[in-house]
Amino acid sequence: MDKPDPTHHTKTREKKESLSREERQKQLEFQHEAVVHLNALYNYALHLTMNPSDAEDLVQETYLKAYRFFNSFERGTNCKAWLFKILKNNYINRFRKNSKEPGKVDYDLIKDFYHSIKDSRIDTTEADSDYFHSLLHEEVYQALHSLPEEFREVIQLCDIEGFTYEEIANMVESPIGTVRSRLYRGRKLLRQQLEGYAKKYGFNTDNI
Amino acid sequence: MNCKKAGVLISASVDGELTLIEEQEFLLHLSECKECSVEFDEAKKTKMIIREKIIRFKAPQALIMSVMQLTSFSTKEHEDTLLYE
Repeated sequence: MDKPDPTHHTKTREKKESLSREERQKQLEFQHEAVVHLNALYNYALHLTMNPSDAEDLVQETYLKAYRFFNSFERGTNCKAWLFKILKNNYINRFRKNSKEPGKVDYDLIKDFYHSIKDSRIDTTEADSDYFHSLLHEEVYQALHSLPEEFREVIQLCDIEGFTYEEIANMVESPIGTVRSRLYRGRKLLRQQLEGYAKKYGFNTDNI
Repeated sequence: MNCKKAGVLISASVDGELTLIEEQEFLLHLSECKECSVEFDEAKKTKMIIREKIIRFKAPQALIMSVMQLTSFSTKEHEDTLLYE
């Protein structure tokens, strides 16, 4: 009974990996609720850091933290919003402390970033007969990034990620009314930028 | 409702975030005010531009793998490796 067991090593490994029933359930729920938002989180992290490797780190840290505190996630609420908030806090703690001065936009950096990451998915066959279609992905991206952060953030969360005002208000820790007016003002600024591009191409923007 | 008040509600209306009463008053104003109607259409267009033109990137495979691993191990060592490597 006490003779050496040749499968001892394997058994230890199995033991390490065989978790309690409770833990397994947590894992399954976490994958179902949280891991499904990985792409959205990665895109948000890219927007914040503008650096693919920082974005990866940020997402990984976010999931690590989220898993550890998954019990505090209020079931039935929007898990994506919960994850975004964790990611944002991580970003502030880790990156923004020693980053470039606030509000300063580095267009070269944006351009480089965009070229370094874009793939061949850009559809070049689309009809560019009007102002709307003439805008390049890069220009919209650049216009968005030229906005002050408080405006860019709410536009991103609302238009790109589809969060409700209540969820956004919670994420940026401001009243809903503030979210409303930031969106209004931010979009106005953004449109001015976009119209600037359109004029550059000679499109008449009077009727848009 | 005057134009100033309607103006603040424009983007919220595009997002479907007005209360029922606000929505009714806002729509009434739009029907009477061409300027605000134009503003409203522009706001809708701007939202559409953002949605359509911002490219969504796919998370790298390595990141997907490491996040999946997070949920299949939960030993202290593993977390430390991920945090400090």
